[in-house]
Amino acid sequence: MKTSGTFLLFILAVMVSARVVRADDQCYVCHSGLGDEPSQKFVVDIHFKKGISCAACHGGDSKSDDMDIAMAKKNGYAGVPKGDAISTKCAECHSSAETMKKYGSSLKTDQWDELQKSVHAKVSFTGKEHIAQCTTCHGSHGIVSVRNPASPVYPSNVTRLCSQCHSSAAFMRAYNPALPVDQMEKYKTSVHGMKHAKGDIKVAECASCHGSHGIRSVNDTRSTIYPANLPMTCAKCHSDAAYLKNYKIPTDQFEKFKLSVHGIALLEKKDLSAPACNDCHGNHGATPPGVQSISKVCGTCHALNAELFSASPHKKAFDEQKLPECETCHSNHDIRHATDELVGTSGSAICIKCHSESKNTKGFAVAKTMRALIDSLQSQQKIAELLITDAEQKGMEVSEAKFKLRDAHQARLQSRTMVHSFNEKQFREIVSTGITVAGFVQGEARNSIDEYYFRRKGLGIATVIITILVISLYLYIRRVETE
Amino acid sequence: MNKFSSRVYQWMDERFHLSDAIDFMKKKYVPVHRHSVWYYFGGVSLFLFIIQVVTGILLLMYYKSGEDQAFESIHFIMSKVQFGWLIRSIHSWAANLFILAAMIHMFSVYFERAYRKPRELTWFTGMLMFFVGLTFGFSGYLLPWNELAYFATKVGTDIAGVIPIIGEPMLYFLRGGEDVTGATLSRFFGLHVAVLPAVFTVLLGVHLLFVQIQGMSTPLHMQHLEEHEIKKMPFFPNFVLRDLLLWLIVLNILAILAVYFPWELGRKADPFMPAPAGIKPEWYFLFMFQTLKYIPGHVLFIDGELFGILMFGLGGLLWTMVPIWDRKSAEGKRNKTVTYFGLLIVIFIITLTIVGWLV
Amino acid sequence: MVEHPARETQKDKRDFLKLILVGSSFAWLASIIYPVISYLKPPKQSEVVVKSVKAGKISDFANDSGTIIKFGSKPVLLIRNANGEFKAFSATCTHLDCTVQYRNDFGLIWCACHNGKYDLNGRNVSGPPPRPLEAFVVTLQGDDILIHKS
Repeated sequence: MKTSGTFLLFILAVMVSARVVRADDQCYVCHSGLGDEPSQKFVVDIHFKKGISCAACHGGDSKSDDMDIAMAKKNGYAGVPKGDAISTKCAECHSSAETMKKYGSSLKTDQWDELQKSVHAKVSFTGKEHIAQCTTCHGSHGIVSVRNPASPVYPSNVTRLCSQCHSSAAFMRAYNPALPVDQMEKYKTSVHGMKHAKGDIKVAECASCHGSHGIRSVNDTRSTIYPANLPMTCAKCHSDAAYLKNYKIPTDQFEKFKLSVHGIALLEKKDLSAPACNDCHGNHGATPPGVQSISKVCGTCHALNAELFSASPHKKAFDEQKLPECETCHSNHDIRHATDELVGTSGSAICIKCHSESKNTKGFAVAKTMRALIDSLQSQQKIAELLITDAEQKGMEVSEAKFKLRDAHQARLQSRTMVHSFNEKQFREIVSTGITVAGFVQGEARNSIDEYYFRRKGLGIATVIITILVISLYLYIRRVETE
Repeated sequence: MNKFSSRVYQWMDERFHLSDAIDFMKKKYVPVHRHSVWYYFGGVSLFLFIIQVVTGILLLMYYKSGEDQAFESIHFIMSKVQFGWLIRSIHSWAANLFILAAMIHMFSVYFERAYRKPRELTWFTGMLMFFVGLTFGFSGYLLPWNELAYFATKVGTDIAGVIPIIGEPMLYFLRGGEDVTGATLSRFFGLHVAVLPAVFTVLLGVHLLFVQIQGMSTPLHMQHLEEHEIKKMPFFPNFVLRDLLLWLIVLNILAILAVYFPWELGRKADPFMPAPAGIKPEWYFLFMFQTLKYIPGHVLFIDGELFGILMFGLGGLLWTMVPIWDRKSAEGKRNKTVTYFGLLIVIFIITLTIVGWLV
Repeated sequence: MVEHPARETQKDKRDFLKLILVGSSFAWLASIIYPVISYLKPPKQSEVVVKSVKAGKISDFANDSGTIIKFGSKPVLLIRNANGEFKAFSATCTHLDCTVQYRNDFGLIWCACHNGKYDLNGRNVSGPPPRPLEAFVVTLQGDDILIHKS
């Protein structure tokens, strides 16, 4: 009884207070009497609760109960704002920190500025206004806080909101025909999307990655989804161990990625052809590549390696043991530059994880041979380079041999790819062309160096001869002159 | 061996009277005095010229003129042809040493007043040969078609274009067009291997003939001496053998230079590339190049560059004409003007060459 | 070094100095003649290879084929397409410096190292190459094909 009494009292208090606040708002008094939709919705509106009158947006005199006075143009009545006037109306208060403070709000005040810089600030097809106004997303009359599940921009609603336009091919064609319209469909299949559908509001939705007011095109270097910025965007959640506490997934991917070849290429060298998170995991349909799809994902760029691997004996073995293809040797987020150390039978080699002298012995032998071949090609190439440098420093002309040395370099690069065939014969073929070239270059360089010494020796001999001749001639002249 | 050579000699002598020539040379004497050493520089120049002819002919076997082949063919000579590097380096080095030797020869003749009557014509032919030698150097410098040569030729021919009236057509004629192109290269090649050698050989023949007929000049201060008071040595075999001795030494120096300081080929000329920094002409043009830099834009009311060229023309003319305006020496009197003029020029050339080298 | 034959005596003949003089003269001659003869001996590669511009005659290149031409110290890929038009690109793959080749089965420029592909405008269309190939200008002068740097 006591609780119900308190409850009744509370209801009464709310009603009275609303009455009290609204007592001088003749717009609301009259319109709610008419029972029209805007006034019905406005009851729950956060602005209504803060005591803001209809006149704040629509103009006019809210104190007068005479319609002719209240809605007179001379009293500032503007009716329904249209186009950009809607947003500027909102911005009158929302861009003013002072006004917002007066109403006890801690909201940011840069929304309108940000919106004007966003893709949605482009001119709409009517040619008169921005594509999106504040009301496009936040609605009107029934505007509630973003933390209120009734808000269209509440995390669980935002995907529906965005897709209203972005999933409509007809609508999108008017703005960006090249932009896909299947993001929502893909999103539903992603891990984010599936959890989202179950009501998880912590998972990423559109705004988590794209931002809200200041959404920029993917080609804009300031965009959160610009390739070089994307890893940081994903890391916002995925590196936050506290945030992901309940998901039981690692949070060190970004740290690893930063140090990987791909991370260094993308983040340090600003090479946009290097993959960001989405290139392997997908973006709207973000999902970790499965064991079978890894080689396909890597193979989009490392095509030849993937092709060779698929044809190799490892393919079947990996499938049987459910080993992820590329990842088994190269790891995933922290892929480092593949060194020759990976191949062979030494301690740092990957091969010995499965192959040993007693187990899977054939592979062990092949690994050993391949490593020996790599090493010999490398050392032959090195020797050739040193000899060429030596010859060059001696001022000899070896540009042609140097040109030829490119082929050895090429063979070495090709051999690094050919490793993925795990086929000794194919591998040996490539390596031996390289070794042959390196041998040829060494020969040329040695000839040049020999020639260098030959020139000096030749000069020495000629000098000796000339000296003898000069001395004997001198003596002869002396004798002729004394006669 | 000696029997064979004496038989060959007799065979030749019967037909061509070699002994007459040898007797003539034996009777010829070369005065011996403290300035005798300068007599050798004519011979050294001659020797270097012979080397140029021989190595030049050898280079012709592989050299290909033309914009797209000149540089490559020199590169080919230096890298593919056996001893090609040697032949080319010797040709380049000997060219420079030739100019040097000829210069020393010229200055020594000037200061010894050896040009005085009756040797005016020997002097004139010598001076002509010197100018032809410079043209040899200038035209040969372009033939490898490398960057430095290209721009040096551009600048060099530009200077010729400054001369009023005849400058413009002369520039056009030299370059075989408006700019230094493959056409210029063809022209310079023709000049270098056909025209200049022919002219030079004729001049050289006349010059040597005069020297043989008139013998070596005796310095002024020895003129008053009686014939028997003058110390002298026979031209043959004494002087000739000494000449040979010096030639051998020069040859060895050339070989050492060629091996230890091989002549660089540089980079292929590219007319569309900006001029590389530090373009300098060959050292023997350096003093003129440097002087033209220092002359202000306008001297009196003529263009500075033109003024410089006119001064050089005038100076060269005065120098060449010294047997005509120096009457005193011909009469056996000392002429201080000649010495001062000569010293002035030598100091001027040396100073500006050093400045040009260092700047 | 021919001596005076008239003055020759038995004594002179055995003269040690003369022996050396004549001997070293011959040695000297040999040291001159040897390089000259070697120089005149045709080298293995008998003629200058024109480095840069001239690639050859039009008839040397079949339609739908590619040839590697040495351009200075770098390779250039000269392609004659199926219509008989010529195109030239730097043959150095923009990925890792391998030498690319024309594959008429793909109708593309292909790099053997990592399966990089470029279209016939030199644009990287597949695989790891990050940039297009540098294009060279091909001009026809009569029957000769000239390649220039663009």
